[in-house]
Amino acid sequence: MRRLELGHINITDIQFGSESKIENGVLYVDEEAVKAIVLEDERIKDCKLDIAKPGESVRITPVKDVIEPRVKVEGRGGIFPGVISKVDTVGEGKTYALKGMAVVTAGKIVGFQEGIIDMTGPGADYTPFSKLNNLVVVCEPVEGIKQHDYEPAVRFAGFRVAVYLGELARELTPDKVEVFETYGIMEGAEKLPGLPRVAYVQMLQSQGLLHDTYVYGVDAKKTLSTIMTPTEIMDGAIVSGNCVSACDKNPTYVHLNNGVVHDLFEEHGKTINFVCQIITNENVYLADKQRSSDWTAKLCRLLDLDGIVLSQEGFGNPDTDLIMNCKKIEAEGVKTVIITDEYAGRDGKSQSLADADVAADAVITGGNANQVIVLPKLDKVIGTLDYVNTIAGGNEHSLREDGTIEVEIQAITGATNETGFGYLSAR
Amino acid sequence: MRKEFIILTNNPLVKDRLGEEFEVEFMEISYEEVLKKVRDFVYNKHELLTHPLSGSVKPNETPYKSVMVAKKPERFDLESVKIIDSAIAACPKFEFKSDKYAEEVYEDFQYIDYTLISSALPSAVAW
Repeated sequence: MRRLELGHINITDIQFGSESKIENGVLYVDEEAVKAIVLEDERIKDCKLDIAKPGESVRITPVKDVIEPRVKVEGRGGIFPGVISKVDTVGEGKTYALKGMAVVTAGKIVGFQEGIIDMTGPGADYTPFSKLNNLVVVCEPVEGIKQHDYEPAVRFAGFRVAVYLGELARELTPDKVEVFETYGIMEGAEKLPGLPRVAYVQMLQSQGLLHDTYVYGVDAKKTLSTIMTPTEIMDGAIVSGNCVSACDKNPTYVHLNNGVVHDLFEEHGKTINFVCQIITNENVYLADKQRSSDWTAKLCRLLDLDGIVLSQEGFGNPDTDLIMNCKKIEAEGVKTVIITDEYAGRDGKSQSLADADVAADAVITGGNANQVIVLPKLDKVIGTLDYVNTIAGGNEHSLREDGTIEVEIQAITGATNETGFGYLSAR
Repeated sequence: MRKEFIILTNNPLVKDRLGEEFEVEFMEISYEEVLKKVRDFVYNKHELLTHPLSGSVKPNETPYKSVMVAKKPERFDLESVKIIDSAIAACPKFEFKSDKYAEEVYEDFQYIDYTLISSALPSAVAW
């Protein structure tokens, strides 16, 4: 049996202070210390830190990543293995997470970048990140740097800051502890006889700059579909390198707190045997899609699964991976539920997905990303509004004279997330 | 067996960076017209090798698109037909704004499209 204890350190406020520490639920941040960590990378010229709290009249944009600080207290490895910590298998022992807060990295990498987090107003209802106390790190690159050099610089800066803040919790006593237990294949079958064998198949975006995901530091496009213990993600085994089309991309925060994994654990040992997590990629080359979906279906069969939940990341080309996976897994006799989102046009009347099949007969949607919303003018912008007119779902009239912004919800970070992270509901 | 391929593109950066090493057909046409050109190839029995909706930058948002097809016509591939037809059908869902950006933004769009098609090259040259 593998066991991970996840301790919640509740953070109710963030303030700048002379020393970084956590006291009575307040995270005090030594601004200079954090800046020094960001500026360790010579590709970053300067950085600005800011704090955005729930309910404040603040807009953060363009958002690159959102990260929950964590620290590995007991057990093998460290947070973000293969990225910040040395490569070692994680997911066992004891981990503390700073709940109620996040590190948000923001700043321009490309001219059409997007990702909006409003801390108040109607936009806030579309992103769960509006409910967190956010420490925003806005990075400024050195002159003349190319996008493919700058992107990893900002990505790693966010992880370094998150690990630094997570470390402040090492000696604290958690406010709450969750326990996650997983079994080996045979062990699980013996301990939980008669329960349906269920796995989570997660598709990872893997197509190029601003479209990549990393597993233990490996670019996911260079991986074959494989098996993980679902607790590994809770120590940062999967991190985000993508932010284009912000509504349905998984920031690192979502990987750490994957709702499908948490919900399947809720039912583990009660109504299902949550066997494992299977990860697979979403490559550009069609033969790669063929190979990866073949492997996913093969693994589902080898593991004698009864059912799976399949989540997508992104839109368009991944619709093909989604349907390939669904068809092949169903053909192996494994019942499949897919989680996707829709691009059904502004009126919602167009075909939602770029691919479809009769095997996809159990579908959960994260919402219509083309849905239009008007965001009010907010008092403060962290980052810049320079790109609002060019972001996905925006146009040259997006930023109106009165300061309001008309966009499709695809511009809002996490709005139609395909792991059930968002607030959109038909209920 | 090495799969010979052609990259159909309207992205000048793809022509500049990949044109010497690989067969690149550069055309000064729109995103949607590139997809229709790809469809012509597919209808003429060239297998589609990369997904035409690669990338999260939407049709009509980015002006640039590069797609890889097999060089030799071999067989009428129904899967290829389905994918390219669906991709063309997806275009009108997105508001056209490919002509509304500052100069440097076009360079960024070109660069992203270049990284997307480049991500297919290791697999494309592997067999």
